[in-house]
Amino acid sequence: MKKFLLFITTLLISQAVWGQEYAFQTFKDRWVINTHSVEMLPKNRMDFRVTHRFGDLAGEAGGWPTFYGLESASDVLIGFEYGATDNLSVGVFRTKGAGDLKQLISPTVKYRLLQQESGGTPITLTAVGVGSISTMQKVDESEGLNSFPKFSSRMVYNLQMLAARKYSDAFSLQVSAGWTHRNLSPFGELNDIFNVGFATRIQVSHALSIVGDFVLPLNGVQSPFDDTDGPQYSPSIGVGIEIETGGHVFQINLVNSQGIMPTDYIPYTKDAEWSKGQFRLGFTISRMFKIR
Amino acid sequence: MKNYWYIFIAIAAFVLFAGVAGEKGNRFLVDETTSVAEVLKKLGDKSLSHQPNFSINGVSAKAGEDLVLRGIAKDPKGDGETKKQSKHFVCTSCHNVEREDPDLSKVDPEARLLFVKEKGLPFLQGTALYGAVNRTSFYNGDYEKKYGDLVLPARNNIREAIQLCAVECSQGRRLESWEMESVLAYLWTIDLKMGDLIWSENELEDVKIKAEKGMADSTAIALVKSKYLAGAPATFVDPPQDRKQGYTRTGNPDNGKLIYELSCLHCHKNERYSFLNLDESKYSLKFLENYFPKYSDLSVYYVARYGTKPHPGKRSYMPHYTKEKLSNEMMEDLRTYVEQEGEK
Repeated sequence: MKKFLLFITTLLISQAVWGQEYAFQTFKDRWVINTHSVEMLPKNRMDFRVTHRFGDLAGEAGGWPTFYGLESASDVLIGFEYGATDNLSVGVFRTKGAGDLKQLISPTVKYRLLQQESGGTPITLTAVGVGSISTMQKVDESEGLNSFPKFSSRMVYNLQMLAARKYSDAFSLQVSAGWTHRNLSPFGELNDIFNVGFATRIQVSHALSIVGDFVLPLNGVQSPFDDTDGPQYSPSIGVGIEIETGGHVFQINLVNSQGIMPTDYIPYTKDAEWSKGQFRLGFTISRMFKIR
Repeated sequence: MKNYWYIFIAIAAFVLFAGVAGEKGNRFLVDETTSVAEVLKKLGDKSLSHQPNFSINGVSAKAGEDLVLRGIAKDPKGDGETKKQSKHFVCTSCHNVEREDPDLSKVDPEARLLFVKEKGLPFLQGTALYGAVNRTSFYNGDYEKKYGDLVLPARNNIREAIQLCAVECSQGRRLESWEMESVLAYLWTIDLKMGDLIWSENELEDVKIKAEKGMADSTAIALVKSKYLAGAPATFVDPPQDRKQGYTRTGNPDNGKLIYELSCLHCHKNERYSFLNLDESKYSLKFLENYFPKYSDLSVYYVARYGTKPHPGKRSYMPHYTKEKLSNEMMEDLRTYVEQEGEK
């Protein structure tokens, strides 16, 4: 593991030949698949986004009876993000929610700390904070999370540090480290989950690229390193294609996690094994507007 | 007594010298930095009507420069800045504010390309704002086909021409009167100078003597005016009938490279004024190469000759290139470069 992390660090800070300017579009979009990318909205631009995750493509819950998952929706996101400055974006998203907490409203704050430039900073470094509040109805007699003993029980937080490098016009790589905190977690689970992640983009043509991301919880029952018996959690893995048509980014992906927001898919990606067909089709349509 | 004489002589010498110096300071002298409009005035030509009205509160050349270069200026009514004139463009998206033609009496886009390259300027669709106040007609030629009756008040009125550009071309708001006068005040700081025009030695000497003496002379006025165009001609052209074959000649890839870098990338690199990102990578060039010969609105032939239209939610659009701004031959230069690089 240490050797692997050392390899990744070396890869990120290694120098590539680049023009004397900031790297433009390390990723085409502000999100890779599930993870945020280091990309920022330019100042005074607003991004409107609709993201959809269908049901299991195959396996027990998928296949022909659900028309390969297309007749069910595991999660749906709709929301806006606004570039307050070139380095600061704020957003608010509503998701159906796929985990134990549903009907999430999630404000986000994203800040770019460093930007890759030739002869200077070798990476782009961005921090993203997400706070989700569940607007589910409180059920007093429930043994689940929706008993909401306190108002704060509705809250989940996620903080991610993203470091990415554009190596060439064809290849970008991002690593991330994150922390998710649930004020209330299911019995036997930890409130705090730490994770690492990787994401990449491979440009195929002017408009088309292949993207992929992977988020690995490091502790708690969500982690593959944990031996505790219980629900079968999996790391979140997604692959997709991204089509840019000038002002729009359209993405089609296959991903095993059901939830879309990190406050959802990091703690609740369970029964989501690729080998059992527990992955799904997803898509994102994003449209950017100039506000001023 | 002798001392009084010294003092008297010193004072007399001072008064005499100051008088001569004063006379020289007030004399109108013509050199290469002298305003062409001033020279014409001295030769008896009537003043142009584009003079800014400084009596309006807030009018200044600095505010005009800010509006032209940044689209905003300090608001004279408060501490803040004005609302941005256009959220899509600034004047310099399409117009240079420096001289861009080696010979201002001719339309020669190929000579212009090399000239702007030397000066480190972009190669743009719009006519340079440098010398705009020396012109007397605007939105000439085929612009009527594009804007219809809107060009009629703008044809002979620079204020109306600026408003048309502000509202239609840049898809922004109309300028307030103090903003308009400020823009004019700025444009008068970049009016044509005598050194911008190409003279023979005799011509220049003749004009210089007459202007310095304030001699009204219609021949000299006509001579000065023959040295620059009073309006930028505009001829709209179609894409080639056969887009696979293109226009007539084989292109020069070196010129094509300049057009790509100084024109296409000026707006498209890093999505500066466009949602379509283009750069020097093979992906961009391959994309352009693929669409060049197609009957598609993504073909460069199409977008360069017809421009693009606004889409819902995206009011900015690409203005087209007239023949005077990009000749058919230059279009083939661009195609040759794009094909050459796209196939690498």
